[in-house]
Amino acid sequence: MEKELESLITSLKSELKKCTKEADILNVKSKYVGKKSRIAEIMSSLKEMSVEDKRKYGSLINNTKKEMENIVIDSLESLESKTNIVFDDTIDYDVENGSLHPVTIVAKEVTDCLKKMGFTVVNGPEMESEYYNFEALNVPKDHPARDMQDTYYLDNGMLLRTQTSGNQIHAMEKYGAPLKVCSPGRVFRNEDLDANHENTFFQVEGMVIDKEISIENLLYVMQQILSEVMQCPITLRLRPGFFPFTEPSYEIDMECTICKGKGCATCKNSGWIEIVPGGMVHPNVLRAGGVDPEKYTGFAFGIGLTRLAMMKYKISDIRVLNSGDIRYLKNFDIK
Amino acid sequence: MLISCNKLKSHIKNGEDIDWLNIWDTFTIRTAEVEGVKKVGDQIDNIVIAKIVECIKHPDSDHMHVLKVDCGEEEPIQVVCGAPNVRVGLKTAYIKVGGHIDGIEIKSRPLRGILSNGMCCSGRELGISDNHDGILEFPSDAPVGTDVKDYLPIDDIIVEIDNKSLTNRPDLWGHYGIAREIAAITDHELLPLDLAEIKNDKQDLDITIKDPNLCYRYTGLKVDNLKNNKTPLDMQIFLYYVGMRSISLFVDLTNYLMLELGQPMHAFDSRVVKKIEVGLASDGDTYTTLDGIERKLTKDNLMIKNGDKYFGIAGVMGGLDSEILSDTDSIFLESANFNAGSIRKTAVALGLRTEASARYEKSLDPNMTDVAIKRLVYLLEKENPDLVIASNLTDVYPTKLEEGDITLHKKLLNIYMGRTLSDEVITNMLEKLGFKVTVNADSYEVTVPTFRATKDVKIEQDLIEEIARMYGLENFEAKPLKLDLTITEHETIYNQEYEVKHLLATKYDMHEVNSYIWYDTETLKKLGVEKTGVKLLGKSENNILRDDLSFSLMNIVDTNFKNYHKFNIFEIGTIIENNENKRILSIVLADDEKNIETIYMQAKSIVKYLFKMLKNKEVTFTNNVNEKSYYDASLGKVINVDNTKLGEINVLNKGTTNKLAKKKAIVCIDIDFDKYVTITPTTKLATEVSKYPTVELDYTIIMPEGTKYDTLKQVLSEFKSNLIKCYSLVGTYENKYTIRYILGSNTKTLEQKDLTNFKDRFIEHIKNNTLSIIE
Repeated sequence: MEKELESLITSLKSELKKCTKEADILNVKSKYVGKKSRIAEIMSSLKEMSVEDKRKYGSLINNTKKEMENIVIDSLESLESKTNIVFDDTIDYDVENGSLHPVTIVAKEVTDCLKKMGFTVVNGPEMESEYYNFEALNVPKDHPARDMQDTYYLDNGMLLRTQTSGNQIHAMEKYGAPLKVCSPGRVFRNEDLDANHENTFFQVEGMVIDKEISIENLLYVMQQILSEVMQCPITLRLRPGFFPFTEPSYEIDMECTICKGKGCATCKNSGWIEIVPGGMVHPNVLRAGGVDPEKYTGFAFGIGLTRLAMMKYKISDIRVLNSGDIRYLKNFDIK
Repeated sequence: MLISCNKLKSHIKNGEDIDWLNIWDTFTIRTAEVEGVKKVGDQIDNIVIAKIVECIKHPDSDHMHVLKVDCGEEEPIQVVCGAPNVRVGLKTAYIKVGGHIDGIEIKSRPLRGILSNGMCCSGRELGISDNHDGILEFPSDAPVGTDVKDYLPIDDIIVEIDNKSLTNRPDLWGHYGIAREIAAITDHELLPLDLAEIKNDKQDLDITIKDPNLCYRYTGLKVDNLKNNKTPLDMQIFLYYVGMRSISLFVDLTNYLMLELGQPMHAFDSRVVKKIEVGLASDGDTYTTLDGIERKLTKDNLMIKNGDKYFGIAGVMGGLDSEILSDTDSIFLESANFNAGSIRKTAVALGLRTEASARYEKSLDPNMTDVAIKRLVYLLEKENPDLVIASNLTDVYPTKLEEGDITLHKKLLNIYMGRTLSDEVITNMLEKLGFKVTVNADSYEVTVPTFRATKDVKIEQDLIEEIARMYGLENFEAKPLKLDLTITEHETIYNQEYEVKHLLATKYDMHEVNSYIWYDTETLKKLGVEKTGVKLLGKSENNILRDDLSFSLMNIVDTNFKNYHKFNIFEIGTIIENNENKRILSIVLADDEKNIETIYMQAKSIVKYLFKMLKNKEVTFTNNVNEKSYYDASLGKVINVDNTKLGEINVLNKGTTNKLAKKKAIVCIDIDFDKYVTITPTTKLATEVSKYPTVELDYTIIMPEGTKYDTLKQVLSEFKSNLIKCYSLVGTYENKYTIRYILGSNTKTLEQKDLTNFKDRFIEHIKNNTLSIIE
């Protein structure tokens, strides 16, 4: 009896192995576990067996039937796990991708970081008046920056802004103090083009005005922003600089991340890289924005986004950025 | 600018105590950027002063001599020398055997058969001048056997300071000003300059200032009986180290004063000076400067005139005829001060930037003109003890610049600094820099020296800068701002721009480009399009500001057709329309001509999708009456949202497209982004959906020739049934349009008879409108 039961399982398995379609399995199923199958016969003969045999074979026969049924179910399931649609699944198409301009990506990184610090992003016009671009920013009439050689003047008495700093005035006029704003945008300088010089590039301006803002606050904010943008801890130093719209003015240098301040080709052996100009907002600029310098102080800074993008992506020729050449731009994808 | 540390040292009491090699890192963060620090003179050694005691022609050479030189040792030494100026009695520089020049060891070796032990050296060989015409000639009183490094300031440290970082510091354009900074940084004492006393007991010189707004001061002095025009060696070395050529004592001294005090000076030959007048040139005049170049003048150029002739371009360069002649024994010294802006403009206009103009354009202190002359005379007298002052120190100074006071409030200082410093510390810092300080309870009364007042120190923040840098910027700690949790989202345009850009780049695989705000002149020419608009002044090319963003991208389209047969680009940029800035989103779809319908339809879908996704708004398109000649007159749509025009879709017309590229199609979308930003997205409220299933029914309608979907749309909109959940166009083939209806009821599952009923009514409606339907 045991032998027969064993051989039933073995031959069920071997027949199922040959099945490739659901119908074949069902045929095998009715043959082996159906009403007229051998196991059914054995089951029904069970009641005619002696008490002793019943005790001996009862559970064995029952278990065998269950096992056979499970084998059939497994076989059906394993067939369902495969599709019967046949195609070449090794074909591998290239995916098309769109792209954002590298400056857009870098601007997003910088403004995201400023936004996290509570800065709001404001906008300003590219065609600007002399007042907002120079006068309100405390740039004196005979300052070299105001020469035709440096600034694009227009035949309608306006000019193309040479800096995003004019947005300091727009923002103060619109929103008053206290204020934490940043303003990314396109600026224009009358320059001849070469690998390092463009007449059209991007900056982001930042400004904070509040009661009792100190030079140390400027240092703190720059440290935060730059370590976030550079994705590593950085060391900064302030160095005296001169810009008409800030007093005191500073060149903010970053310790060279390549040589860690020891001196290398990237930092021209000085150990430091000049990275952001900034300073405390000049009282004349606050006044021009309608903010009382007796009550408020503040700081401002300007980050060169185009330069940052060139550093980040190791772009050696600035001209490709405004070329619109997709062969070049598509490499930058989305982020 | 190059700076000699030997010179600085001479102006500072106990200056030798300063670490001159390492002070410059501190100088960089206190004052101005240092670009390089270099030791000079350290490549030579074992060079002494020697006297030639015997000089015989080399028997085997046409120019060499065999010398015996006395260098203070017991026996004279035999040296072979090729210099032409060898002679008995000459004291020169002799390098001993074993000594070094340029780091190379000098050995005994035969020259044309005669042994030479060491050698006699020229200035160039010692690295202290360019002169290689002969060996050095020391004065007759030079002590034989003395190391030349003890006799002359050959060992020095030369520092290069970035000129740009001195833009705002007119006082630092000479060694004396730098020495003052170093003295203040290292807490040393600055020594006063030795000056000659000049008694004004003679005649004034004839000097007139015509334009006191442009020439603030002109100081002149005539000096006679000058016998010696030879520059002492130590001054020659200094000039050479800081990048100037030694010419003659009179000229060198004017340069020396400029390098020492920052005051440009001029020495004229007294014999040619008649009557000095400072005034503007006349338009169209020409003048030949010292460098022999004829310059065209304008009425904006300030000139020095002698009699009725031009004598020099004020503050920039003298003329050919103002050059000192070697046979003169009388000079006229000029020391003047001019308006910085005027000098800069003249120098820029003439393309002639000189050491003098570079200094004048920084706004020099007018109070140093007379000091410079007194200093020069003091130095001149050392070489010419018998000189005679032949005129009064004539000083035309219409409006004297007086020292001014600034009140510095302690409260403001403490806010900026984030800390409180003692009165003593502040007073000391400022006084070291030349300020005078009176301490009050809440403030300091600070007198600003005129050498700081012309440009950079005007308000109390300027004094704060001085204190902060002297305190040490490296001592500041980064301190966070006070916590402020006010929401200050003022403008959303930047976020919205990014949102749109991201959607276009990800959903439609488009490429963002950045372009220029002006039209590319060549592309306009190529396309035969003329643009009028706001123009850049002083430019003849690329000078018209764009008033159509998409069209301004055509040069970029042109570039990309060279590499791609189809592509999509976009930009959000500024155009100038009616003299106003306008922000525009432009999308350009470019493909082969045969695909024009595809990209045109795609343009419409993009616009619909954009507004649907980002603003939850439906777009309607109306026909565009295009006034721009380069766009197709029949194609093109106006984009409307909430019954307001938001932009246009245009197709570059065939003629214009052909000039760009053959058999191509270009579709442009321009959306007014200023308006886009102001649209508040609609919030659609939740709607109940039926619990009964819906049914889809497709109908294909055949449209008569010449009719468009618009007609069908109208017909469909007139068909009403309360079973309609929605319907849409799902496909077209030739003149056949397939419409899909989704039907359903909120109260029951639709039965066959409902559908049949709907179908019959629909077919009837279509037929009533003289259209046919595939049943």
